[in-house]
Amino acid sequence: MKLSRREFIKAGGTGSGALVIGLTLPGCSRSGGPRITEDGSWTPNAWLVLDGSGDVTFTLDRVEMGQGTYTGLTTLVAEELDVHPESVRIIFAPVGDAYANPEYILQVTGGSTSLATSWERLRKAGAGARALLVKAAAEVWQVEPGDIRTDEGALYHPDGTQTMAYSDVVELAARQRMPDEIPLKLPENFRYIGRHDKRLDAYAKVTGRAVYGLDVERPDMVYAVVSRPPRVGAKVDAVDDSAALAQKGVVDVFTIERGVAVVADSYWHARKAQEKLRIEWDERDAFRGDHESIFQDYRKAADDSRGDTERSNGNARSVLRRADRVFTAEYEAPFLAHATMEPQNCTAEVTARGLEIWAPTQAPDIARIAAARVTAFSPGDIEVHTTFLGGGFGRRLTQEYVEEAAAIAEKLDRPVKLIWSREEDIRHDMYRPGMLHRFQASLNGEGIEAWDHQITGPLIFDYFARNAAATQYPWVPRFLYDTMARVGRLTEGTFLTPKDHSAIEGAVEVPYGAPNILVRHTQADAGVPISYWRAVGHSHNGFAVETFMDELAHEAGVDPVEFRLRHLTDKPRHRAVLEKVAEAADWKGSMNEDHARGVAVHWSFGSYVAQIVEASIENQRILVHRVSCAIDCGQIVNPDIVRMQMESGINFGLSAALHGRIDWDEGRVRQSNFHDYRLLQQDESPAMDIVLVDSEEDPSGVGEPGLPPVIPALGNALFALTGKRQRSTPFVADPGETS
Amino acid sequence: MPIELRVNGRERTVDAEPDTPLLWVLRDELGLKGTKFGCGIGQCGACTVHVSGEALRSCSTPVEAVADREITTIEGMVDANGALHPVQQAWIEHNVPQCGYCQSGQIMAAAALLGRNPSPDDETITAVMSGNLCRCGTYPRIHAAIRSLRESGEAAGEQSS
Ligand code: FES
Ligand code: FES
Repeated sequence: MKLSRREFIKAGGTGSGALVIGLTLPGCSRSGGPRITEDGSWTPNAWLVLDGSGDVTFTLDRVEMGQGTYTGLTTLVAEELDVHPESVRIIFAPVGDAYANPEYILQVTGGSTSLATSWERLRKAGAGARALLVKAAAEVWQVEPGDIRTDEGALYHPDGTQTMAYSDVVELAARQRMPDEIPLKLPENFRYIGRHDKRLDAYAKVTGRAVYGLDVERPDMVYAVVSRPPRVGAKVDAVDDSAALAQKGVVDVFTIERGVAVVADSYWHARKAQEKLRIEWDERDAFRGDHESIFQDYRKAADDSRGDTERSNGNARSVLRRADRVFTAEYEAPFLAHATMEPQNCTAEVTARGLEIWAPTQAPDIARIAAARVTAFSPGDIEVHTTFLGGGFGRRLTQEYVEEAAAIAEKLDRPVKLIWSREEDIRHDMYRPGMLHRFQASLNGEGIEAWDHQITGPLIFDYFARNAAATQYPWVPRFLYDTMARVGRLTEGTFLTPKDHSAIEGAVEVPYGAPNILVRHTQADAGVPISYWRAVGHSHNGFAVETFMDELAHEAGVDPVEFRLRHLTDKPRHRAVLEKVAEAADWKGSMNEDHARGVAVHWSFGSYVAQIVEASIENQRILVHRVSCAIDCGQIVNPDIVRMQMESGINFGLSAALHGRIDWDEGRVRQSNFHDYRLLQQDESPAMDIVLVDSEEDPSGVGEPGLPPVIPALGNALFALTGKRQRSTPFVADPGETS
Repeated sequence: MPIELRVNGRERTVDAEPDTPLLWVLRDELGLKGTKFGCGIGQCGACTVHVSGEALRSCSTPVEAVADREITTIEGMVDANGALHPVQQAWIEHNVPQCGYCQSGQIMAAAALLGRNPSPDDETITAVMSGNLCRCGTYPRIHAAIRSLRESGEAAGEQSS
């Protein structure tokens, strides 16, 4: 992502003599350059402030949820500014136009976009600040700016003896004109990018000092819990709160749009009182299905409708009709919960200025709209403070917990912290949608002749747009929020709303060369709330495409790595990761005779990842022994964070492959906590070797791309081991006979 | 009801019902927010603290059960001079934390293990640490960090002050 032509890096000063660097978006900023307001707070478009005391403060506009933006983005600024990343003070950004993700025009952290979209703009911000400091020093010393050297926050005179700290010249620097061209360092001159290997948030996180949403503290704060409908679509009919109100510490009980809130002087008192609530639910329109009924509906939809064509090369339909042999397969990917380690929560307080919100959110600007939707406050009166996030994975892109906390706070005269229990988190999640995949293919000798992939299931944007669409137009009146969402749907694919790729991403980009390729999507929606889940569509399309590819390799009688390479003749980056991982895993080499290997390669979020899994089955238990992984994500800012994200994606994928499944009992979610919605644990975590492929390309995503290949690679290993195909997740030791 | 507690070497009196889980007393009465809530039913280990040096799940421990016992939380792992516990140090060196939310519990579990058994073998590390969940999947680094402490033979005693 290049710096858009309409954006300018601007500098400004403050009364106290600090240098402020920010981004100006014409049409958004009335004042021109960024500055600090009278009371010392930020104008919402500043990235970098250097003050006379030597402090360098960076406003981080992509939230830190484990993926490493806190370190990675700070490193970009520090590199060009020539300060050590560890010397930078980092604060989380408020809501501000300049902090919007250019990929979405929303202030969203997701889609593994943070580094790619910040790569140029943040380096320019750092380089711009440095340029002004150098110009100021040149004025003081009366030398050519080009002869001044900078290092770790200091300026060096060309005579080699005199030096000045940045803080000595910030005031003068703030009065310099920003050069039109801001040159960036050449990669060979990087000191921190690609070299700085430590996380800047590690100290706070090993000492328990990092403040997550759950840790927010306000004077005189009370605690809230909410009882929500046990079935999707149910509504509160009648509430008997007499017993609850009589419980110790209870402040109030009242109904809000999303359920019944219990407010008490402590979390524990609120929970105990909640048990005494008697609520009758109107369940006339409620969901009463389960996994089986949903997939039956999907199958019927897939039979009845060919769906929308999302990619077509050649004429797969007629080739398949004439083919002697057509290979078919059907795969199921179930609904999944995010299960962030930090349960959903939000703190809200009505103040003289309006409504203040503290939340672990991936989208503070959508949080603001969510709060405005359910209260009398307009977005301009709502301030959102972002905290560290105890995991995100897409869960915190939607803002139900903010809606709840805002609605509760409006009825109270003191701050309130809303906490979801783990049971509530699992049962009221916005799930990874369950999806059905059907394939038909024909072979021509050892090559694929025709490929037809039909994906059946819902689109996420239908659920996300509710608050997100309105966020792009924060001035519209509240009663139009839902209209905005509908307009968003109607205008999908136009310049107003990008196309919703959530169902088809990772399928339409199938990299394999074949003369006839057809990819289609059949819409089917059970009405269960869904959202983005780590790797989104790639999480199920990667599984389906790479499992079917393995089935075809088997039919063709060709080695699975070799079969893929033959279909990747014009895909050098896919080939490279595949060849590297085959070497790292010693693909053809010997191993314990009770083990087997499986492979998969998948592109997502701009990055190429290939993995080989070595697995066995002992006592009906699937054991994953080793995962080898090669990634090409362009230039690497922090190599160890790339490794960490691969390890994380692999273990997240293995949780889904071995355990993940949300199901219902007549519409009530069956799973409730970690005993029945299991996460991978230490004794299931495989040995891993991660190979980073050298690249000169611009950086691309790492938070999600490690996940998609591991599920099919494991399934393919289990096939190699048992001769039985794993066509749905979670995998089982014995999936029964498959053809 | 007032209950006497000894937390990180300090005497504290809290007003709570005896069956209140220790977790919420630590977090909301004593302001020790480094100990985390993950599941509330003893399944994840995010709430792990030490009671008399042993790892214990504070979410499912009633506060009355630990009155008069020595309680250490993540805040108590840093010594009076601000020096980190060797486990915390190893966690930084191995870049263990991602979102970090589970790590207080992981560190307390690891420190208790090493306090009991300064040289645990690989299987012991795996078995003991399997009770602490990490959604970010930092397990390989947790394992490596504990091994490094074993191999370097560093002392793993408690440093509460
Ligand atoms: S919160 Fe105590 S074990 Fe999960
Ligand atoms: S580091 Fe995120 S849950 Fe462990």
